[in-house]
Amino acid sequence: MSKFYMIYSSLVAGGLFYSGLTGWSFGSYDEVKGVPKSVRDNPGAYRSHYAGSARYFGGK
Amino acid sequence: MNPGARKIVPKPKALNCPNCGSAIELRAMGAAAAVVCSYCSVTLDATNPQLVILQRFQAQMTVQPLIPLGSRGKLFGAIWEIIGFQQRGIDVEGTNYFWREYVLFNPYKGFRYLSEYDNHWSFVTPLPSLPVPGQNANSRPTMTLDGVTYGHFQTARAYTWFVIGEFPWQVKVGEIVSTADYVAAPKMLSSETTENEVTWSRGEYIEGKDLWAAFQLPNAAPAAIGVYSIQPAPIDNRAGRPWKLFLLFAALLMTMMIFFSARARQETVLDQTYAYQPVVGEKSFVTKPFDLAGNSANLQVEVFGEGIDNDWIFISMALINESTGQAYDFGRQISYYSGTDGGEAWSENNLKDSAVLPSIPGGRYYLRIEPETEPPTPGVPAALPKPFKYNVKLVRDVPFYFRYFLGLFFLLLPLPFLGRRGPNFENLRWTESDYGVPPNAIVWKSNSSGDDDE
Repeated sequence: MSKFYMIYSSLVAGGLFYSGLTGWSFGSYDEVKGVPKSVRDNPGAYRSHYAGSARYFGGK
Repeated sequence: MNPGARKIVPKPKALNCPNCGSAIELRAMGAAAAVVCSYCSVTLDATNPQLVILQRFQAQMTVQPLIPLGSRGKLFGAIWEIIGFQQRGIDVEGTNYFWREYVLFNPYKGFRYLSEYDNHWSFVTPLPSLPVPGQNANSRPTMTLDGVTYGHFQTARAYTWFVIGEFPWQVKVGEIVSTADYVAAPKMLSSETTENEVTWSRGEYIEGKDLWAAFQLPNAAPAAIGVYSIQPAPIDNRAGRPWKLFLLFAALLMTMMIFFSARARQETVLDQTYAYQPVVGEKSFVTKPFDLAGNSANLQVEVFGEGIDNDWIFISMALINESTGQAYDFGRQISYYSGTDGGEAWSENNLKDSAVLPSIPGGRYYLRIEPETEPPTPGVPAALPKPFKYNVKLVRDVPFYFRYFLGLFFLLLPLPFLGRRGPNFENLRWTESDYGVPPNAIVWKSNSSGDDDE
């Protein structure tokens, strides 16, 4: 059974090493490909997926 | 090798059985006390040159030795020849349990034995000295020899069912001895008590495959069945080993954490304060380009607001690669609310927010920012818009410690289940003992007089 644990732990450690190398961490974003270069000069030509969505208003 | 030299191989002495006339080979001539004719199964007195018959009747041979008589092999530094074989058994609550014993002979070392039970083997050496009796913490009998304490396993009366070959004592079918076994895996102390004497021996577990290799036997050794009383716990199942592995991997994780933390560049690539005037019209804009150095790494985004009072601002952002057009969309919200409730002042300060974008490839990027606030309510005249200030800070390649603690959690996760494997093996080892449980098992003792069922 230690063999199982050895393999399991190696996978955990290997995964962490890989995440350390690539900068993987928790956190999310939406990936969009092929954003036109014109956005640089005309920011309004692109709309973020997050724009205009519902917000938390807070307060009592 | 000197061609004139001859390899001297001891030859068995040939005699004839006084019962059936068949040839009998005496391999341990002068050392054996009894020999059993392999043809008619009478037991003969090997100390008498006339081979006087000791016992005539024996049931037809029903047991075939796994290792043939006459086989020679090197075990524990000496060449041994198998000269005798017997099957013995004990009766436990009406069930017979059998094991087999092989007599080994070496002219210089004398006699040794191989014991086999369910294809588990042990090499048995007679003891010249007596072990010291004692008791363990659970009041079970123990025997101590050469600094090793052996726990009592089983006491029984053993019956000899079948014999063949030569023996150093006058063996007989039907012979009954009292046996007691004490174990400290991979060794066992055994006593055999007759009316006239008590003999002690020490057995040591030996793998069947090692035995087969030593005696150069064909095919593979039969697979052992179950867990034997002195079978060493497999390394995999030794209690505590998973915990040792855990410590090893935990140390590895901590080393990785230090390594990657020291390696993290923590380079600020953008740190800019912007003013936002909530007016009608296009609110989005882009930052000046910046470089994200190196290969794939994370990017920390921190947003800090100023001058926000009972309001919120949502900043939707897109990190856009100038050359590939790849965009990473995300958003952060900051807010500040305060007031009084029943005469008590309260505030909700969320003027700072941050996020870590994972695995952003190196390259030249710019940030598209689009702030957003409470839209004016239709029909209600808008109050004079207040300008906000907010700061956006991007830091490339920051340490991320949480993953290592998460890794520790995942390392710990299976341990409670794995930790039971070692004790399970010990439980199985003691199943066939007189106690049924290991010596260190917690046994609940009732003070009542057995009226629990009433």
